[in-house]
Amino acid sequence: MNAVVAWIQATAVSRTIVEQPWIWPAAETAHFLGLALLLGIIGLLDLRLMGFLPRIPIGALHELVPFALGAFGLNVVSGATFLVGHPEQYAHNIAWWLKAASLALAGANALVFERLFARRTLGMREGEPMPAAVRWIGAISMAAWLSVLYWGRMLPFIGDAF
Amino acid sequence: MLADLLAWLEGTRVATWTRESPSLWAYPTVLTLHTVGLAIVVGVSAVVDLRLLGVARRVPLATLMPAFRLIAWGFLLNAVTGLLLLIADATMKMRQPVLYVKLALIALGLRCTVLARKEIRYGPVAPTSTVSPRASVIAMASLLLWAAAITAGRLMAYL
Repeated sequence: MNAVVAWIQATAVSRTIVEQPWIWPAAETAHFLGLALLLGIIGLLDLRLMGFLPRIPIGALHELVPFALGAFGLNVVSGATFLVGHPEQYAHNIAWWLKAASLALAGANALVFERLFARRTLGMREGEPMPAAVRWIGAISMAAWLSVLYWGRMLPFIGDAF
Repeated sequence: MLADLLAWLEGTRVATWTRESPSLWAYPTVLTLHTVGLAIVVGVSAVVDLRLLGVARRVPLATLMPAFRLIAWGFLLNAVTGLLLLIADATMKMRQPVLYVKLALIALGLRCTVLARKEIRYGPVAPTSTVSPRASVIAMASLLLWAAAITAGRLMAYL
């Protein structure tokens, strides 16, 4: 692990991220814009899957997912900027690993929905009750994404990242 | 006079607790809740704005009315947590010009959200309907203002 950290720190791109004073704040701002859009879209979808907001047609709401994926892409890039700039802050930081694990759970959960439940669920009409499995997927998604946000916020307080 | 007031605010029990308590429930949790509120306010507003701009057109506008209640709760959460974060470092933060820029952007963003709600409430209710050029302008302004407010908030840590 320490060898990987040292290797990353020695790369030109890592040096640039550390030395250009505007890159870090810019990446942070992008990360926050991305998290707002991502959680807004996915959060509303999760609420709908959990059975709230029953009048919103779920299939139509799902058309916003490409925007959530775009926001996620933005956060992968800005997040990678932090990671490459200061890998030593994250490699041994328990909060970062918990964030990564939460992200994996959110991703796997979304994949289960898209593969196994999307076709049937997205065609549902207004007033049709959500199956229990779909409600669980919505609840797990919301918990997992809030956990991603929580551990991300805890990076400076539990570990010592900034 | 103002300096005295700010020093007094900073010295209150709740401000001291927010700033100095080693508990994860103090500063870290207040900051986390502020981020959750930000995601609710800006993220849900963005969904409404995107719909007004013609994305996910099959969502009937009227069904989005509950979104404004979510936005209101998110805003309340951030008014409370924001106030806590502000009084915890009142002297320093009240001297930052970017704070006032952020507050102005929030006021304008909120104005757009209220206007968007009016457009949806009194606009056409048929599914797939777009509203009006006026609604598109409001939606675009809302997206830009909220994004700018987040940027100003982030910059408070640097300027």
